[in-house]
Amino acid sequence: MKKLVFLLTVAVAAGLLFVGCSGKKEQTAAADMPSFDPEKEYVVSIGAYGDLEKAYKAVMDTDDFKSTFPNVTVEFQTADFGGHHSRLTTVLAAGEATNDIEALEVGYIAKFVEGGGLTDLAAAPYNGVEVGKNIVDFAMSNATTSDGALVAMPVDIAPAVLFYRQSLVDEAGVSLENLESWDEFIEVGKKLVADRDGDGETDQFAIPNANEVAMTPLAGGKGGWFQDGKPLEPKEKFTKALTVVKKIREAGIDGDLGAWTGPWTQSFADGTVAATINGAWFGGALKTWIATDLSGDWRATRLPGDTLAALGGTYLSIPAEVPDEQKAVAWELIKYLTTSSNAQLTTFETIDAFPALTTVFDDPIMNEPVEYFGGQKVRQLYAEIAREIPNAAVSEYDAAILSVFGNAITDVLVNDASVEESYQTALNSVLAIAD
Amino acid sequence: MVETGKRIAPYVFISPFLILFAVFGLFPILYSITISFFKWTLAGPQDFRGIQNYISLLTTDPFFIGSLKTTFILLVFGSLLQHVFAIPLAIVLNDQKVKGRGFFKIMYFLPYITSTVVIALVFNQLYEQNYGWFNFIIENWLGLEGVKWIQNPGAIKASIAIMVNWRFIGWNTIIYLAGLQAIDKVLYEAAEIDGATGFRKHWHVTVPLLLPIIFFAVSMSIIGGMQLFEEPFVLMKGYETMGGPSNAGLTSAYYLLGTGFNFNRFGKASAIAWILFAIIMAMTWMNKVVTDRLQR
Amino acid sequence: MDQKSSSLGRFGSKTILYLILMVFVFIFGFPFYYMFVLSTVPGTEVYRNPPHIFFKSSFFTNIRALFDDIPFAINFFNSFGIATLATVTVIFFCTMGGFALAKYDFKWKKPIFVLMLSTMAIPPFLNIIPFFKMMIFFQWYGTWLPLIVPGMANAFGIILMTQFMQSSIPDALMDAARIDGLTEFGILTRIAFPLSRSGIAVLGIMTFINSWNNFLGALVMLPNIQSTTLPVALSKLFMQMDGDRGGLMAGTVLAVVPLIFVFIAFNKQIISGLAAGSVKG
Repeated sequence: MKKLVFLLTVAVAAGLLFVGCSGKKEQTAAADMPSFDPEKEYVVSIGAYGDLEKAYKAVMDTDDFKSTFPNVTVEFQTADFGGHHSRLTTVLAAGEATNDIEALEVGYIAKFVEGGGLTDLAAAPYNGVEVGKNIVDFAMSNATTSDGALVAMPVDIAPAVLFYRQSLVDEAGVSLENLESWDEFIEVGKKLVADRDGDGETDQFAIPNANEVAMTPLAGGKGGWFQDGKPLEPKEKFTKALTVVKKIREAGIDGDLGAWTGPWTQSFADGTVAATINGAWFGGALKTWIATDLSGDWRATRLPGDTLAALGGTYLSIPAEVPDEQKAVAWELIKYLTTSSNAQLTTFETIDAFPALTTVFDDPIMNEPVEYFGGQKVRQLYAEIAREIPNAAVSEYDAAILSVFGNAITDVLVNDASVEESYQTALNSVLAIAD
Repeated sequence: MVETGKRIAPYVFISPFLILFAVFGLFPILYSITISFFKWTLAGPQDFRGIQNYISLLTTDPFFIGSLKTTFILLVFGSLLQHVFAIPLAIVLNDQKVKGRGFFKIMYFLPYITSTVVIALVFNQLYEQNYGWFNFIIENWLGLEGVKWIQNPGAIKASIAIMVNWRFIGWNTIIYLAGLQAIDKVLYEAAEIDGATGFRKHWHVTVPLLLPIIFFAVSMSIIGGMQLFEEPFVLMKGYETMGGPSNAGLTSAYYLLGTGFNFNRFGKASAIAWILFAIIMAMTWMNKVVTDRLQR
Repeated sequence: MDQKSSSLGRFGSKTILYLILMVFVFIFGFPFYYMFVLSTVPGTEVYRNPPHIFFKSSFFTNIRALFDDIPFAINFFNSFGIATLATVTVIFFCTMGGFALAKYDFKWKKPIFVLMLSTMAIPPFLNIIPFFKMMIFFQWYGTWLPLIVPGMANAFGIILMTQFMQSSIPDALMDAARIDGLTEFGILTRIAFPLSRSGIAVLGIMTFINSWNNFLGALVMLPNIQSTTLPVALSKLFMQMDGDRGGLMAGTVLAVVPLIFVFIAFNKQIISGLAAGSVKG
């Protein structure tokens, strides 16, 4: 036993020595930071996921970009969602940096905001708060730590809306516009449930799955999980969300379809569902591949009870260990991608990622009627909602809470757990995980 | 001269392992031991905790003990059960009289090389609660009520175990097949002359000779099973779900990775790793003792 | 068994045997077949209900989409180069190490064996972080070295070979070779290698496949699309908003073809290992 303790002590001492030796990069004083040199040739690497590379490449092909940054070449390291964020975690946890710019998805932003390892863009010489003054507030606040450090700049957002099919709503003789509350939504939803082929089994539902409603009353599950440092407070907010979900399932208005399965995708095209709740980007997916034949039938409207939420969004950050002169050029690129109307609109046109920059909301293109949505000016709707979404602080525990609360929802839905008991289990679990 | 060579040779032959271990293996181990005594996040050490991470995992943590139970259940019904299929399959495929052995061997190995993306797609279609192929069979052909394969806690474990068996039976079959090649034919034939046939021949002759390989394959299954991660992770769709309702699919390795990569608690995650290490060593040692006793 | 019924019984049991074998073929082979089907389905119809279970005609469209999205040939070359080098080195060093443990008695044999088992028992998941730190320190980031060198003489391979060599190399043969003047290294290359072909084949298959499919390692260590491996390049195609999974599905099929060939090639060795083993002594 003694021998073991001795060995352990030696091991720990040696380990500490190793870890300590690695030495964090000294933060350079703002005045000494090299600034962006328009004469110099730069190569910038961006770590991205999914479609972002496609969008930013389109931006970099524009004349505006080429004339602004003739001396900058951009390289990408792209992977899928999970892969990208695992890699980034590994790199930051090791106290290193491999790309000059790293993209963060909103679901992961909380983790990196409070986690450390990213450059504070609010500080000089970046002064990101001033630079981002025209970016929607809620997105800026999501990227800000409790100490006021800004660790990333929002580039696109996804205001949540209720998508629905006009023809099915008309058929049922109801309206999904201006619903006062989720209870009213459930009442209307019941009329959207139908047995179209008359075989005795329901084949038309209001929405694909009750759980898609769960997060939206909580601002899309992005931030707002804490009050006065206590998780899952105010309690009423959470029990209410659980109750809504339970009521929806009990009312039988959801199809119990798993997201991104064949039946789920199909349900938007074949009349199995009349409505769905999702981020603005989903409108693009409906149009381009999920329900291409239904042009003119889908609509978008505000969520019941004027719930405001974001479901998706991208942020750009600079890892702390990036060399200083690379930081300078990385920051110029981020500024361009997040605050130039050319970049914001090109990104929107390429991958349907809704701009985070409010000044482009007035661009003519944002006011165009969209044929797929029956000539509705959906972009104005998205923009209005984006402006109204309240600020919510994020904490590094958000990821834990998100998992735990997600399971509380399933427990309520599938395993008949009561709302109160699910809330308590979730609360205990969060406290343990956050330890 | 010969004697010197014979004495030095094994050290030379084994030295690449020792050198690589010293260079690449030691630092990660020291690192991991060290951080397991801290609250350690993405930003590095927060505070020193001594063995508190270990203690709270084993006493108050609401997930860890449950994850160990899940891991053991899946170890038995996923990782170990498959040897019951793999050994007979290997023996059959080793029989010269069976035609098309090459074909069967390749077919049985396919799960191991099928892409994970496609596996996830297929199993999600199999297990889907309303439109899944399994429930289609259960409801329409057997007239029973469909199973909520990836929502009901009990069914989740079964779903994962089925997937693990599916994926690794062929792998083990190949290992056993290769092991069977090394068995002396003469012993077989001697047994046949003695009148032992079929099952008895294999039980008395083949299986004992296969013991070194069985020890190896079972050890690998214990190690793999106690570190089971990919199958539940894919089926339960990522860290966010923590193994689904009631954490039914949350294995210890899944919890470990979630704690580290999703919740940023690298110190605690390392502590989980070392507890698992201790359990795996104990089980491997037991496996060794049992194998040695049988070998005698 | 009763003599009279034996021929009928044998016929019956044979049929049942093949029936069982074929059921397993279906169970194990279906997802693999399905993978090929999906590569021929139009890209936006992968997530549809009811699922496609027969071949469609979009294979070449999908291939074109794949080639447009990633530098397939380069990624393929990287994957193949890394997996081949890893396999060759692993076979050499692990057979050597296994030979030492299986056929020699030496003082540190037992502790080394235990050490090896221990290294395998440590859950490897978090090691990527300190390992990555080291690779940056060695300036190996962005090269193939982190994906080949550290695993060259790995515990799994050595223990596997140890178990195989215990019974397949007769001590008498080694002694005879020594009398004939063969050095210990000569015994390794001239006797041990040929006689452990089936073990080597198994090790080769496993190593090649694991290296080929190594996702996180390649993702973390290789900086961009030009330098990375096939699985990482394909992961880029997972979640495109246009819903087109055609390139991805075509890519998964092309990525698996080399594995089939490697399996067939090594599998032959498992059979010829038998021949070598039976003429021993």
